[in-house]
Amino acid sequence: MRYICANCGYIYDPAQGDPMNDIPPGTSFDDLPDNWVCPLCYADKDTFDPLD
Amino acid sequence: MKPSVASLYQAVEIAQDIPPLLIGERSNTNGSKKFRDCLLAEDFDGCLRIGLDQEAQGAQILDLCSAYAGRDETADLTRLVKLYAESVKIPIMIDSTTPDCIEACLKLYPGRCIINSINLEDGGKTLDKVCRLAKKYGAAVVALTINVKGMAMTADEKVETARQIYEQAVGKHGLRPQDILFDPLTFTIGAGDTSLLDAAIQTLEGIRRIKQELPGVFTVLGLSNISFGLPQASRKILNSVFLHEAVEQGLDAAIIDPGKILPLAQISEEDRTFCFDLIYNREQGEEKSPLMRFIDHFAERVETTEADETEEKRPEEELHQKIVRGDKDGIEDVLAVLLDRYPPLEIVNQILVPAMRHVGELFGKGELLLPFVLQSAEAMKKSVAWLEPHMLKVDQEEGIKILLATVQGDVHDIGKNLVDILLSNNGYKVFNIGIKVPAETIIAKARELDVDMIGLSGLLVKSAIVMQESLPQYREAGLKVPILLGGAALTSDFVATSCVPNYDAPVVYCADAFAGLKALKDFEGGTLKATVAAPKNGQPRMKPGVKDVNIDRSHPAPEPPFYGLRHVIDIDPAELFPYVNEQALFRGRWGYRRTSSTSAEEYTELMRKTVVPLYEGLKQRALSENLLQPKAAYGYFRCYSEGDTVFVEDGDETMAFDFPRQQSPPHLCIADYYRSRDEGGDVAAFFVVTIGEQIAVESKKLFEADAYHDYLMLHGFSVEVTDALAEYWHEVMRRELGIAAEKPADMTGYVTQGYQGSRYGFGYPACPDLDAHEMLFKLLQPEMIGVTLTETMEMVPEVSTSAIIAHHPQAKYFAV
Repeated sequence: MRYICANCGYIYDPAQGDPMNDIPPGTSFDDLPDNWVCPLCYADKDTFDPLD
Repeated sequence: MKPSVASLYQAVEIAQDIPPLLIGERSNTNGSKKFRDCLLAEDFDGCLRIGLDQEAQGAQILDLCSAYAGRDETADLTRLVKLYAESVKIPIMIDSTTPDCIEACLKLYPGRCIINSINLEDGGKTLDKVCRLAKKYGAAVVALTINVKGMAMTADEKVETARQIYEQAVGKHGLRPQDILFDPLTFTIGAGDTSLLDAAIQTLEGIRRIKQELPGVFTVLGLSNISFGLPQASRKILNSVFLHEAVEQGLDAAIIDPGKILPLAQISEEDRTFCFDLIYNREQGEEKSPLMRFIDHFAERVETTEADETEEKRPEEELHQKIVRGDKDGIEDVLAVLLDRYPPLEIVNQILVPAMRHVGELFGKGELLLPFVLQSAEAMKKSVAWLEPHMLKVDQEEGIKILLATVQGDVHDIGKNLVDILLSNNGYKVFNIGIKVPAETIIAKARELDVDMIGLSGLLVKSAIVMQESLPQYREAGLKVPILLGGAALTSDFVATSCVPNYDAPVVYCADAFAGLKALKDFEGGTLKATVAAPKNGQPRMKPGVKDVNIDRSHPAPEPPFYGLRHVIDIDPAELFPYVNEQALFRGRWGYRRTSSTSAEEYTELMRKTVVPLYEGLKQRALSENLLQPKAAYGYFRCYSEGDTVFVEDGDETMAFDFPRQQSPPHLCIADYYRSRDEGGDVAAFFVVTIGEQIAVESKKLFEADAYHDYLMLHGFSVEVTDALAEYWHEVMRRELGIAAEKPADMTGYVTQGYQGSRYGFGYPACPDLDAHEMLFKLLQPEMIGVTLTETMEMVPEVSTSAIIAHHPQAKYFAV
């Protein structure tokens, strides 16, 4: 499932991962580390809403 | 575009995909006793509630009629139109035959409405006047098939009258066929009048032929008249079947009570047969008439669900629910009942405060969103304000007292004001002393008011530093009350390590207004403790960013259209809306988050029904009331980099912009994106943009009027439109530099910087220091567009933003 940052609108797509944070493709949102932040606005993980 | 009518909030097509268009009939002095009673009692909110109920029951348009002998129709109807226009999301239908009254309403209504109605009873004099008004204000009209001889009874007469009206309205007054909704009149077939036995047939035939013979026009019926004189339970069924038949003949719209229409599928075959026999006057070879058989068949039916018969709730429970639902309407009535039974302070402490606590819990569980919490707070505020005159002075001064301020140099107050709203409506006494407050003033006020706690707020990185550095001052002043800190630039780590040690009483980090509320509860319970460092996962927060460090310094500088500064004051605000980051607005600024208990479908429904109409309404209002005055001060300057510094040349003067460099790999610095003098120099672009102070003035008014919900909405809107202006102006400048070939396809493209280069806002992660504003203001002179600086280099009005623009393709966001 994709997640969206409520602060800036960045969409975390597990299929893409997050190269800015060295997160490989195939990583589910739940498996992102707790100290992961939005690669664009640096908001915490709990600022994200489920999208799909 | 399909023929539509519109309110401030939404457009409604007249020809619905699934007809008919439902026009709610209950906001009518002649059709609803309840509405009439409210009007006679001057209870306009009560009138509005009837309209809102109809909307909730599925009406797509509301008929609004205030004609009543002995009352001033124009005064009543204009007042109702204003009220309905603001509060009801669907368009209205002005139900009056008095041209002056109609015009007064049309002038007020912020949308396209329908006039109900015109006819040829007086030969066309009134029709001429009303058609002129419809043309002038772009309204649609309902036309009744009434001529000088009276009401048209047969299909022939109905069609002939419609044709005459058509010729005048279209031929003479230039209305379009689609502007007219013909009502071929419905007469009751339920009263046993022998001259009306085929009245339903004539009406149905009239609909069919009007649609056929006058192409492009619409048809409408005041439906419930068909069953006048019959018992309630059977009326509902006959009305529903007749409506179905009329739609079959081409009916486009029906004026009805939407709560009293049944889908055909819910009506049994047997019931339908009795209805058909009555409608089509089928004798069926029986002795009894179709009407008698109809009455016999439905004799035993009783109305099962009457909205008015809902169970009486205990007033305590009702008040609790009103607070939780954020329903202010009629709350005084409930309070009045309770005031007979309890002292006012008990109502506050035993019912109101617990209800607000419950609201807080629901928010915490993700079952209630922030905008709804604010509506609850509004209901709370209204209740307490109503009770206050009944309370003893000493009662009003009871409770925990907290002082709130935005710290020196910072003008941002939405966070502080949300805390104020939440705390003051949870039974705490709040002293909100404003923005840009120096520590000395806060200390003096805290002593004077003898507060139990202090809350400091500030959005900027700089404000976090101000808090950290002023805490020793609070300590030296001998203050011993706990201090709460809130603000976007703070983290619990920063508070724990850099703030807590600087003060003797607990210093507590509050991530949001609800954390502030929790802190006060902890204080009450004696368990409030200073924030301790607890990095997530035992790890510091990740630092995202590009890993590519080989910046191509041979990239050529683009040629700007001019060197120096320019001011632009005629930006069209409507141009900005496509650049608004709606996700950030709806979820971030407004708090319409999708919580774990909400499905994707429910969330889409929330967006469609509530959030998008709200947004559309604000856009319209912003344009019509001229709340947005976007302006830009911008320029292009020759420059060169040297280490971490970009030297910007402005005529004879050279200004040195020092930028910080990342402490850890890849060690980026904004200066890296500009070529050095040896490499041929470069071009630096800057802007300061603002949407003007008017919208901030409006926001402030809403907060001061305790319109919390609307305040958050307008404030959030202003913040995101400011960002949209920055996005828009950045694109203008990319175009001027000839580097706008890659234009993002949608907002996600802008969010992820799908364009060449980057803009770095002063005060933001790549250059947190606001001191560069001093040089920037020399370069761009944004005072000319109404933007000034505070003593701590923050821009006023708040709805302004500044940036340095890098054209280099490798330039993207990063944080130092």
